[in-house]
Amino acid sequence: MSKMLIDVGSTYFKVSSNGKIKHYFRSFEKDIYDDLIFKCGDDISKFNADDIFICSSANGGLSTLIIGFSESFSLKFASNIAYNSGINIIDTILYNNIENCSILGEIIDVVIIVGGIDGVSGIYDEKLIDYLSKINYQNIVYVGSATEVPFLSKKIDNLKVLKNIITNKLHMYEDELKEYLTNLYQQDIMGKEDIKHLYELTANQIYSTPYIVNRSLPFINTKLEVVDPFIVVDIGGATTDIHYSKDLVDDNILTQNEYDRLVFKKLGVYKSRDSLIFSAKNNEFVYELLAYLNTTENMLDSKNESSTKLLMQLSVFLVLYKVSHQHKSYLNIKLNTLNSIVLTGGITKVLTCEEIDNIVSFFYKKILNFHTAPEVVVDNDYAIWTLGIKDDPKV
Amino acid sequence: MSLLQRDREIIVSNEYIDNFDFAEVEEFVKNASKDLFISHKFRNNKGRTLVQPRGGFPTYEKMFTLYEEFASVDVDVLPLTIDSHTRLNDYSSAQKMLRLSEESEVDMLNGYPLINHGYRSTRKMVTHFNTPVSLRHGTPDARLLIDIAIASGIFEIEGGPITYLLPYSKNFPLDKAFLYWKHVERVCAKYSPLNEPINRESFGPLTATLVPPAVTIVIQIAEMLLSLEEGVKSFSVSFSQTGSLNQDIVTAAVLKKSAKKYAELIGCGDAVINLVYHQWMGAFPRNKEFSESLINTSTVIAAMVGANKIITKTKAEAFGIPTKEDNAQSVANVKYTLNMLRGLPTIADEEEEENLTNEVDEIFEAIFNDKADTLWRQIFNSIKNGIIDVPYSPHIINNNEVITVRDKNSNIRIYERGKMPISDKSFAYEKSKLNLGDNKNSIVNQIISDIGVML
Repeated sequence: MSKMLIDVGSTYFKVSSNGKIKHYFRSFEKDIYDDLIFKCGDDISKFNADDIFICSSANGGLSTLIIGFSESFSLKFASNIAYNSGINIIDTILYNNIENCSILGEIIDVVIIVGGIDGVSGIYDEKLIDYLSKINYQNIVYVGSATEVPFLSKKIDNLKVLKNIITNKLHMYEDELKEYLTNLYQQDIMGKEDIKHLYELTANQIYSTPYIVNRSLPFINTKLEVVDPFIVVDIGGATTDIHYSKDLVDDNILTQNEYDRLVFKKLGVYKSRDSLIFSAKNNEFVYELLAYLNTTENMLDSKNESSTKLLMQLSVFLVLYKVSHQHKSYLNIKLNTLNSIVLTGGITKVLTCEEIDNIVSFFYKKILNFHTAPEVVVDNDYAIWTLGIKDDPKV
Repeated sequence: MSLLQRDREIIVSNEYIDNFDFAEVEEFVKNASKDLFISHKFRNNKGRTLVQPRGGFPTYEKMFTLYEEFASVDVDVLPLTIDSHTRLNDYSSAQKMLRLSEESEVDMLNGYPLINHGYRSTRKMVTHFNTPVSLRHGTPDARLLIDIAIASGIFEIEGGPITYLLPYSKNFPLDKAFLYWKHVERVCAKYSPLNEPINRESFGPLTATLVPPAVTIVIQIAEMLLSLEEGVKSFSVSFSQTGSLNQDIVTAAVLKKSAKKYAELIGCGDAVINLVYHQWMGAFPRNKEFSESLINTSTVIAAMVGANKIITKTKAEAFGIPTKEDNAQSVANVKYTLNMLRGLPTIADEEEEENLTNEVDEIFEAIFNDKADTLWRQIFNSIKNGIIDVPYSPHIINNNEVITVRDKNSNIRIYERGKMPISDKSFAYEKSKLNLGDNKNSIVNQIISDIGVML
């Protein structure tokens, strides 16, 4: 019998069976489980729990704080693993600056502490313990030098210790931390009232959607006309995700997958609308873009269909800008060697391929001085995730 | 439309490509002179070793003049060495530097920016000289470059996913390189039935720093198999002078024999396999007379191992990029020496050959036992796991645990095998040739001295 694949998003359910994908707009007054059963219970009942696979981004994702010893190894490696495990919200602290860091007010789902290769000692001291005592967190995991374990285990309650993510050759070891974070994600789902009942439908692990999307990218050209190297830009309500082919960056990171993921948590069109507008107004090229689109900044302040459309367009521009060499940040992507740009997520319901192409062309002309831009491919059916969930060796 | 063609059409839709005409290029390849195909020349050279220099200048004029100089000494194969920006797919920087080179007469690039010159003008030059041209680049993602090269009339493509990555790159993802080179192989295979086959050549020297022959041979054959399984019909395996005449003879014998064996194993025994020999690729002496002697010795070895092609160096190697006159003089000298070395007797060292063959087979057994379902992924996993380990590779994926030193006869021996699955028996043979003791300092000093063995 074939399989049923379900993606529970923050605004839509996507249900795939027998090669067809159906989209259902969510009713927010109902529990997710009840809503899903109400809308596609008949279809779901035709499948055994073993043949139903679910991924979800509806629980909002885990919030993570990473405390590391160096930018280039500790923080970079841990952030990379966290992003590729489907984590959306990440804050980082460089340990040398910990005394000057502001105390995070909200509850953090997981704190990751990392630093040094095995054998290095004296990395952490009372400053760390002091900082941790001031913040609220649910889980804490240590993935640094083994020599520091006795000190940290003694001082930090419920500390989970995993194998160091930095090997003696300064390579990244991702397996244990990645598994820990994906399991934590599952526990988070099980602990959330409106989503935990989903486990009544499936006998398989529920993964986060971004994690599944990232896994699907090596097979993307079976669904879409995409040529490597490419990026996938997933513009949603709360965040904007960018999945990129690893040959587009010069990082010294070896991962299992050919693609990495980066999240811009303040570039969402709905939940982080204000910060998106703030980013846009502070970008020196946006006013030219607005003129190019034949509109003005006043449009940003209204809340109608046209302004949502405009915000989506700005979001495409800003995400390209933030990963370009024009803007020094976590990473710069070699946009000059891109062959394809794939757009997926909520944006595909709002903008046409031509409208996106317009923005991409503007970006390439204005920022890179190119007259030719990569091919824009729109995942209209929002089908990419189905490739990743099916290929999971564990299922 | 095939997936390959769809990909090619997107790839040539590039800022720097002016209207690539697939139909016209196909027609050009179909009707191109046989003299442009090295595969044709290999088949009709009656056992002669073809001579190919190295060289590439940024401007069309300087490239043309270099070719004129080579033509004056009756060169067999012309080189087209690509600049570093193009190798990294940075055509924008290549364009700027090309303009500066054209305006100032100073070479601002270390090779010919083929993408920026375009295939229409480059083809004029290639067809004018009517001699096979070999593309030397070092590009991990050469998909665009190869289409432009073939459209220009360049019918020999050097490189491969391993040999153009592990010695040159620090962090370009190897899995991506395998997929990009699969595309290259398919393009070469697609054009081959139209006329003579496009010849693919692997880059055997690797890091050119104490690479043990077993590693060189395994990688040569691995790249050959990846190429043949995509339909390529003419392939050159290669290696560079090791510093030991005996080891060169043994390496050549095992490489030829094993390449044939493994090609037959995957059902590609009909492909033509050629042997290419690189003159010394390590550090050259600053004494030009010694350099000439070194070059002359390697020419003799090329003749002794029955190389189908030799790639030359010049006496100016220690001082920078050679002048066109130095380069042409070297070609003339090598041809002169080769002319004297006909009908040489076969020399063999059976014991060494047996041990080297065993090592190669032991590594391949481990590669084929990898659980991956495709050959490229089996090889990829083998590099990641240290089954294939290239000494002194800068790439982050390389295991860097194998340590090699020279024995008293200058043969490269495996001192530490790392995770390379050579048997205890084969390893014991290697160790039996060494007499180094356990003093780590003396081993380090020995390695430093071995790297500079020709200085």
